[in-house]
Amino acid sequence: MSDTDNDSEVAADGTGIVAPDDETPTWRERKERTEGLSRLTYEYFERARREDQDLRIESDYVERDVLAFPTWPHEMVRNLALTSFFVGMILFLASALPPHIGAPANSTQTPAVILPDWYLYWSFGLLKLGPLNPELSLLGGTKLVSDRAYGVVANIIVVGFISIVPFLNKGAARRPVEQPFWAALGAGGVVFAATISTLAVKNLVPMDTHLLFDLAFLLPIVTACLSYAVLKSMREGYMFELNRRYYRLRPPK
Amino acid sequence: MPLDEDKYPMESGRRRFVKGVVGSAALAGVGTGSAMAIGATTNSSGVGGGTTQAMAIENVDGPAPRGMPIIPLTIENGELKGVWPEVTESKEDGQTVKVAETDMGGVTYSTQWFQYCGVQTYPGTQPENDQDNFFRVGSNPAYDWMSDLSAGDKLTVDMFDDYEEWGNGIGQSGLGKPATGRWRSEDVDQTMPIQVIRSPRIEEQAQDDEFLSAATEQGFLAWLNKCTHFCCVPGFKQLEGSASFDAEDKVYCQCHQSVYNPFSAVQTPFVALPRPGE
Repeated sequence: MSDTDNDSEVAADGTGIVAPDDETPTWRERKERTEGLSRLTYEYFERARREDQDLRIESDYVERDVLAFPTWPHEMVRNLALTSFFVGMILFLASALPPHIGAPANSTQTPAVILPDWYLYWSFGLLKLGPLNPELSLLGGTKLVSDRAYGVVANIIVVGFISIVPFLNKGAARRPVEQPFWAALGAGGVVFAATISTLAVKNLVPMDTHLLFDLAFLLPIVTACLSYAVLKSMREGYMFELNRRYYRLRPPK
Repeated sequence: MPLDEDKYPMESGRRRFVKGVVGSAALAGVGTGSAMAIGATTNSSGVGGGTTQAMAIENVDGPAPRGMPIIPLTIENGELKGVWPEVTESKEDGQTVKVAETDMGGVTYSTQWFQYCGVQTYPGTQPENDQDNFFRVGSNPAYDWMSDLSAGDKLTVDMFDDYEEWGNGIGQSGLGKPATGRWRSEDVDQTMPIQVIRSPRIEEQAQDDEFLSAATEQGFLAWLNKCTHFCCVPGFKQLEGSASFDAEDKVYCQCHQSVYNPFSAVQTPFVALPRPGE
């Protein structure tokens, strides 16, 4: 609004500020209603505000910016309300739509195809790592850990690794090209999740089981290397594009 | 007192460290205390567990830790019957424990062989449980040839007359004729699954093996059919898919692809789980 030419036009988009003339009531005057209920209300609130103000001045309590609300009662009341709501929903759904309960499992027979839910295949696959369990020549060719325990420990290691990843890299990168190493690690992890799940159902996959086992561990590594190479080589061109766009937006002085 | 120290002490590294130590110690204390309380209130004292040397069909592949224990058998009037030793009482640590064990071809056959995978809590595994010990047809026989038998029928020798040529299209025919069944599980809730096989190979092996000659008869071999890995029920020649794990002529568990060779009896030491106390 630097140009004087445009002053005569009325800006309908809210950018033009119309200065109050003498007739226009000020905000204070608008608040101070002069009669009836509105006047009473105004006086009541003004008085309450004033009393609060006096108390604040008298007290030695130091006002601070509020950093957080106390756990009790503020947070707890909210949490309890939310919890009660969801518990209530579960109870309601359970009573309105009672689940079908099948016949008890027959412990003397195992179904021909026995698998956990699909999203647990990776964990099921980790129980089948027997061939990776080293036979120690020091112990006369016996295994230090039984294959059964080895599979369970593998679960702990994988879950443990996944849970420390956020602590290993807290970078602000939002694009894979910005951090090719971590992006490649992630790509390998995703492929490993898929291959280890396939290993879990190896008895149903029409494929040589030894080849499947080897692929389950080699494919993630290959994927990680490939994506690292691709991202690394893409990075220069990508950053060029990004910088070009940035400088077009804000040309350097 | 400075005004801003009334409620919020200054945050400092030292203070955070102390908070961490105190907090983690309190958490650890609560955790240990509740674990001990739960342990003390739920721990049931068991009896009759411990190290035992079982004769088992060998575990040759897969994650199972050891083979499945063999059930020594005899034939009575053409009916197959598992051996259940006489029950004696022995003192262990000032406690009287019922023990069922006997000498079987140079090996001490103990009913502790079957105390794993929860079977140790089944009524049939309790030494004093009075059962007739015959092998019987279970509720869901796994083989086509058993389809006209009904649950509870005793397994008899004449059912296995064609054992030298029997086959069901899985693997090689003539290795032996298998049957599934149950043992010491009449009128109880929990069934001990067993598998029996009559095989010319067993007949041959029994000629020069002291244990097998005592524990098998006329080529019959029986074992407790509970996979030692995670307690599934495997099968001999029951699934087509066993061929991809070289198990079409062996006992194959479809859960984690454990494979057992029924024609190889080996001694396997393991720690038997205790039975529930009296």
